[in-house]
Amino acid sequence: MKIRNIIVMAAGASLALGSCKKSLLDTAADYKYVESTFWKTEAAVNAALTGCYAPLGYAGLFGGEATPLWEETASPNAYNYSNSMGFNFIAEGKQEPSSTGIIPGRYHDCYTGVGRCNSFLAHAGKVPIEAKTFDRMRGEVHFLRALYYFELENYYGGVPLILDPPDKDTQSDLPRTPREEVVAQVLKDLDSAAILLPFTYGKADIGRATKGAAMSLKARVLLFEASPLLNTAGSTDKWKAAAAAANAVIQMAPETHYDLFENYRALFLPANENNKEVIFDVQFIYPDLGTSFDLIGKQYNTNAPLLDLAEAYEMNSGLPITDPNSGYNKDKPYENRDPRLYATIVYPGDTFMGVKVTDSRFAITGYGMKKYTIYDTEKPPEALNDLKGGQSETNYIVLRYADILLMYAEAQNEAAGPDQTVLAAINKVRKRAGMPPLTGSYDQASLRKLIHLERRIEFAGEGMYYNDIRRWKTAEKDLNAKIYTYAGKSIETRSFDPARDYWWPIPQVQRDLNPNLEQMPGY
Amino acid sequence: MKFTIDRKTTSSRPALSAVGTKRALLLLCFSLMNFALFAQTDVSGKVQSAADGSPLSGATVHVQGGNQNSLTQNNGSFTIQASQGDSLLISMIGYLSQTVAVTGGSVGTVSLQEDANNLTNVVVVGYGTQKKVNLTGAITTVDMTEKEGQPITNASNALHGTPGLFVNLSNSQPGVDRSTIRIRGVGTLNNSDPLVLVDGVEYSLDELNPNDIATVTVLKDASAAIYGSRASNGVILVTTKTGSGKAKVNYNYYIGSQKPTYMPDAIWDPITYMKLKNQALRNEGKDAVDYSDEEIAEYEAGMKTDPFTYPSSNWFDIALKNGQMQKHDVSVSGGNDKSNYRLSLGVLDRDGIIIGPGNSEKKYSIGLNTSYHVTKRLTVGMTLDGYYRKYTTPFYTSFWSYLMRALPILTDTLKDGRYGNSWLRTPGRNNWENPRMIAYTGYGHKTVQRFVASAFAKYELPFGITYNAKYGIDKYDGLLEEFSPQVKTWNPKTDDFINWNSPATAPRSANTDYNNLNVHFYQTLDWVKTFNGDHHLSVMVGNSYDHFETKGFDATMIGYLDGTLTALDAGSERYDIGGRSTEDVLISYFGRVNYDYKGKYLLEGIIRSDGSGRFDNGRRWGQYPGLSAGWRIDKEGFFPWKNTFDLFKLRASYGKTGNQAVPLYSYENSIDLGQNYSFGDVLAPGAANTAYTDSTITWESTSNYNLGLDMELLNHRLNITAEIYKKRTTGILREVDIPDQVGGLKGPQQNIGVMDNKGFELSLGYNDHVGEFTYGFNGSFSYNKNEVVDLEGQILYDFGTNLSTITMKGLPINSHYILDAIGIFQSDEEVANSPFQSNSTKAGYIKYRDVNNDGIINADDRVIIKSSSEIPKYTYGFGINMGYKGFTLTADFQGVGGIKVYPEGNLTFPFNNGAGATWEWAKDAWTPENPNARLPIVTTSTGGQDNFKDSDFWLRDGSYLRMKNIQLAYQLPKKWMDRIKITGMSVYVNAENYLTFSKYKDFDPETALNVNSLYHYPMLKTLSAGARITF
Repeated sequence: MKIRNIIVMAAGASLALGSCKKSLLDTAADYKYVESTFWKTEAAVNAALTGCYAPLGYAGLFGGEATPLWEETASPNAYNYSNSMGFNFIAEGKQEPSSTGIIPGRYHDCYTGVGRCNSFLAHAGKVPIEAKTFDRMRGEVHFLRALYYFELENYYGGVPLILDPPDKDTQSDLPRTPREEVVAQVLKDLDSAAILLPFTYGKADIGRATKGAAMSLKARVLLFEASPLLNTAGSTDKWKAAAAAANAVIQMAPETHYDLFENYRALFLPANENNKEVIFDVQFIYPDLGTSFDLIGKQYNTNAPLLDLAEAYEMNSGLPITDPNSGYNKDKPYENRDPRLYATIVYPGDTFMGVKVTDSRFAITGYGMKKYTIYDTEKPPEALNDLKGGQSETNYIVLRYADILLMYAEAQNEAAGPDQTVLAAINKVRKRAGMPPLTGSYDQASLRKLIHLERRIEFAGEGMYYNDIRRWKTAEKDLNAKIYTYAGKSIETRSFDPARDYWWPIPQVQRDLNPNLEQMPGY
Repeated sequence: MKFTIDRKTTSSRPALSAVGTKRALLLLCFSLMNFALFAQTDVSGKVQSAADGSPLSGATVHVQGGNQNSLTQNNGSFTIQASQGDSLLISMIGYLSQTVAVTGGSVGTVSLQEDANNLTNVVVVGYGTQKKVNLTGAITTVDMTEKEGQPITNASNALHGTPGLFVNLSNSQPGVDRSTIRIRGVGTLNNSDPLVLVDGVEYSLDELNPNDIATVTVLKDASAAIYGSRASNGVILVTTKTGSGKAKVNYNYYIGSQKPTYMPDAIWDPITYMKLKNQALRNEGKDAVDYSDEEIAEYEAGMKTDPFTYPSSNWFDIALKNGQMQKHDVSVSGGNDKSNYRLSLGVLDRDGIIIGPGNSEKKYSIGLNTSYHVTKRLTVGMTLDGYYRKYTTPFYTSFWSYLMRALPILTDTLKDGRYGNSWLRTPGRNNWENPRMIAYTGYGHKTVQRFVASAFAKYELPFGITYNAKYGIDKYDGLLEEFSPQVKTWNPKTDDFINWNSPATAPRSANTDYNNLNVHFYQTLDWVKTFNGDHHLSVMVGNSYDHFETKGFDATMIGYLDGTLTALDAGSERYDIGGRSTEDVLISYFGRVNYDYKGKYLLEGIIRSDGSGRFDNGRRWGQYPGLSAGWRIDKEGFFPWKNTFDLFKLRASYGKTGNQAVPLYSYENSIDLGQNYSFGDVLAPGAANTAYTDSTITWESTSNYNLGLDMELLNHRLNITAEIYKKRTTGILREVDIPDQVGGLKGPQQNIGVMDNKGFELSLGYNDHVGEFTYGFNGSFSYNKNEVVDLEGQILYDFGTNLSTITMKGLPINSHYILDAIGIFQSDEEVANSPFQSNSTKAGYIKYRDVNNDGIINADDRVIIKSSSEIPKYTYGFGINMGYKGFTLTADFQGVGGIKVYPEGNLTFPFNNGAGATWEWAKDAWTPENPNARLPIVTTSTGGQDNFKDSDFWLRDGSYLRMKNIQLAYQLPKKWMDRIKITGMSVYVNAENYLTFSKYKDFDPETALNVNSLYHYPMLKTLSAGARITF
């Protein structure tokens, strides 16, 4: 009897399996959504918007361990002895399509951002959200997509311009779109963003793109377009457009409250994040979204400043050290210099973290980069004295007001010559740094030199100079040179092929996957 | 290694029955002499099978107490010289022996019962068993009792040498030692692991005590179709030991010592190291070198007086020791016609070769196997196989990569025992990874309890129908506890310290909990019927339900006062927490029909239907048919060599199997959480699609064609099996890379194309004896050719590590795709006159071929090396065994051929990001004085990228032949044992991996397969001794 029961039960079980197999085979993950169930609520749309920002902190763009700081090492300002992210190969002219690091990384992370923005713009509209809020969200996404595409075209030239959500079947074999068309789309997105975005946010939304961010990025895009690398015809109109775009940001100051932050060194400290000078920055937060800025500055020294940079700082009198009247003392080379030197570089004889700096403290070049670390002359508190990988949370500033002032100065000088507004913009920056104003009479060319120097000094260590020497087309001179330690000892000889090295190659992997992608010349 | 067929002639055959032809002739002479002395007469008889009354040929008839032996003829009859009152012992493989008394000129017909427990006669196949002689599929059985006494720490490591199986021990680390098993090549670009079932229930081979395994059956062809959608990679059926006969206790013990087979020949001389590093930097164009002349001079002088500041550390000596292992196994077993049982306990205690507490392992296993005849019709039983195991790792698990980076100038410890670093600034070495510190810092403790428990019932219904049901639960509970204190290294000269881990995050404690539950149920109905005495039919139908569930969570805490308390609760700050679960379901219906006519013509048909939760509705169900046939030609009247061949069977099979091994939820476009960003200094939750999905994916299916020939000759002493096969896999599932322009997404899982594996396998065994000297040989050889037949025009590259492999039509999967190195530049003029490589190329650098003649060396110059980077073309194995008066010597060899390895990184390439180099770079690298050196000019691999591009210069022949195991055993004489009331005792010594032949010498060639660095636990050679006692 019992046995019969067992058989009946087993037979019943098998029938049960047979009859409701459909439901038995349905399984779902409990840790991720699927597309069909996701786009339903405002919270989901908000999360998707956040997801559009996330690539900003990736290693290919402005985060990773210290990508933006290492970008400085592709310029004559600094040296990366361990070739982190492949930046030293770029400095040496050894980058290749199959290089690893930043070249495939930036390409990938930018397109990740582009894809998310495109998905957002295609799907978020289905969800009922208050129009005002949704407009702002769309504005943010247009800004981000412009930023990602700008980074792409800036390094790789023309790239496939895709504005629809990711679709393997229709997008995989698209060839490169002419760079000009990509730039046109970037400007279009930025104009849309500028209309949709607010001037400022409440405390909880600090870090989102603003109208000022959109207009500032536009100024940068136009400045690059006007520069010799891209403006091969030497069109003055392009410079005019760039100057106008920068000026538009300056004129907006009453609404945006943009101004220079008083303390140049403190501008880069976590305590002063999102101050009035910051137009757009990458928001890092410990422990979830951290970088290694402090570790590489304090210990790894993979963004070691070079002698050439240290010597570029003027005396605090405003004279270059090469001027016989400057009072520069070879035996005490770090006395009476531009205060920004002390805010940026640690040098032998300096005091750093409460300890006198020997020439072996930063053994690579003798110099350390203190900008973007939390460390300075004083001994840090115990809990902060040894931040390791991923433990830094200082925001990386993508756009700041000083940049707008110097963009304006540069573009206006090229467009109209050295007028008073040009000097005023430069001098505003110099004044904050504690440097005497430029008061002499300058012609366009001599002022151009000073503006270039001012940019180099003001933004030293921030990863801007590599793009400056590219767009000025001076890299073939600046990067075809030996580099030296503080003591004038040669480290290596760099090389730059003007026919090839102004642009990065399309990563080999991408050309393997999509043979329609044409390679940049020379690679 | 031996296979079932061999075993027939060795262990299961009664000692005296294994009589060779020569021996028989000798005996015949003896019996003639005896006849003269004792007036013996001819006694005749006939032997038949009790099951079906068919005559048994080749049965041994032996006069007990005498020397006379005879074999039965084809019709089962025999004649032998015997005296009245003698007893004849009649025995045959696969049958229970019988004794009959001689009471006249004939003993009549003797019926032998089949030996149900004789595993060599009956082979476990899917959802049942089959007589070996009736098999029609390509099935190999490994008898694990042959491996008793070998220091096997993990069951997967015991399958070496099985024909058609590629077994590669990829990790020797205590606790996680595993072998990768591939059956007949790689049939998929996806997960290629075979399906493993233990006593019919899916389970992990790694979680079984090797000593509890009786046999392992490998289904290689259409016979696997009974497991349908998961059978494409082959199926491994494990049968655990059961009890029978009178109660006996078995005790096994061994103790062993282990050390690495190969370690790289690293430079441990500090002066040579420093000078060579400087040379490397100068060679690549650096003006600044790492070590100044003054520093080197100081070092050289200091070495004589102060080995703490000026060490010459040999880190392989410092950080490695001899490993120890011992194992106890006890089992109690027995059985009668009512019930049987086997209970076993095992304890493995192992300490690895790394210094410190971080690589020890303790495994406690329990095995229970019982069955009970409740009524005449009902049998029930249960099996339980469980492990409780604990193993340790260093907290920083990348010990091996740190060890391969260790430098001779790195101070081990200071005088007072503090961990040292180096006073010499070395780029790339900012935070010196002192291997001793890594080995001793903190801990990782993993505790796993895993068991598979199953209950079964068998009920004999009327009309010869049997109902079988099995319900199995596979439970995995794991807890990983990790703790790291805050540690530092000290500069031996200045006494300054460097924090190894940040005081902000250490001490730190982390726990990870794994909680998996798999439930399996199947039921079958079997019907066996014989028609007209000659037609044998058996039918099986059934269904099954498999449910897989994983759950896990983890938590990390910081904020510990010091390193004393390590529990999560002792921390004050939550640092990281996570958790998730997954679910997977498979529902199946299956059936099998076997038919044979007079055991001569054999037919088998299989059908299976599988439904999987891994695919979208409408694409979930797949059908898997299988058909095979066998022909016992030796049973045909026309077969001409009946006296030579005991078996001559031709087999052919065709079947379809599938593979569903794609990641779960691969068919739905998912939105992943965790794409976070911060606003207003608060973390905001973000979400985004991160991987492209193709909702149309479905089963990968493989058509198996197999032709086989089984032969047994010379009275079963020689057996030969040959197989030839073709496996065509269509709809290969693989993650396909897509260009970044499609949203930077990870590529989708897709059904992408067709691939073939063709090959043959040959195995043979021979066993014989001369007097008391027994000997045997077995060998197997497998050849597999892998070729991608169609990829719908696509070309796939492996971008996981680098650009080095390509998969396209007409090539083996993942063929190397690299630059063609054509020598070393001998002069700068030669560089100038050759295609442009890079602006750093100069004399001494590797010269590449400009394949497309465009004057520039770049990725367009890659060439295809037509050899798979994953699977060797040939695998082979052979073994010999010899025995004399209780002594046995066995040796097993295995080898692979037709595979290239491509190791990279620290100690393969010189001075890789601050690591050291091997002596070859000091001795045989290009210089103007040594233009014919093997290696190019020495540079750092980080700075001199030109030489370290993926090229065939670095592609090495990974073939090897290895003596896997050699064992000498001695069975103590029975008369000694009788005195101390012990049934049997043997002692043995064993050496594993002591002899290897290979061109590749940098590291162990077996470990070098499928990996591209040297950063792992090396292969170990083991010396062990043990004893086995039965009472």
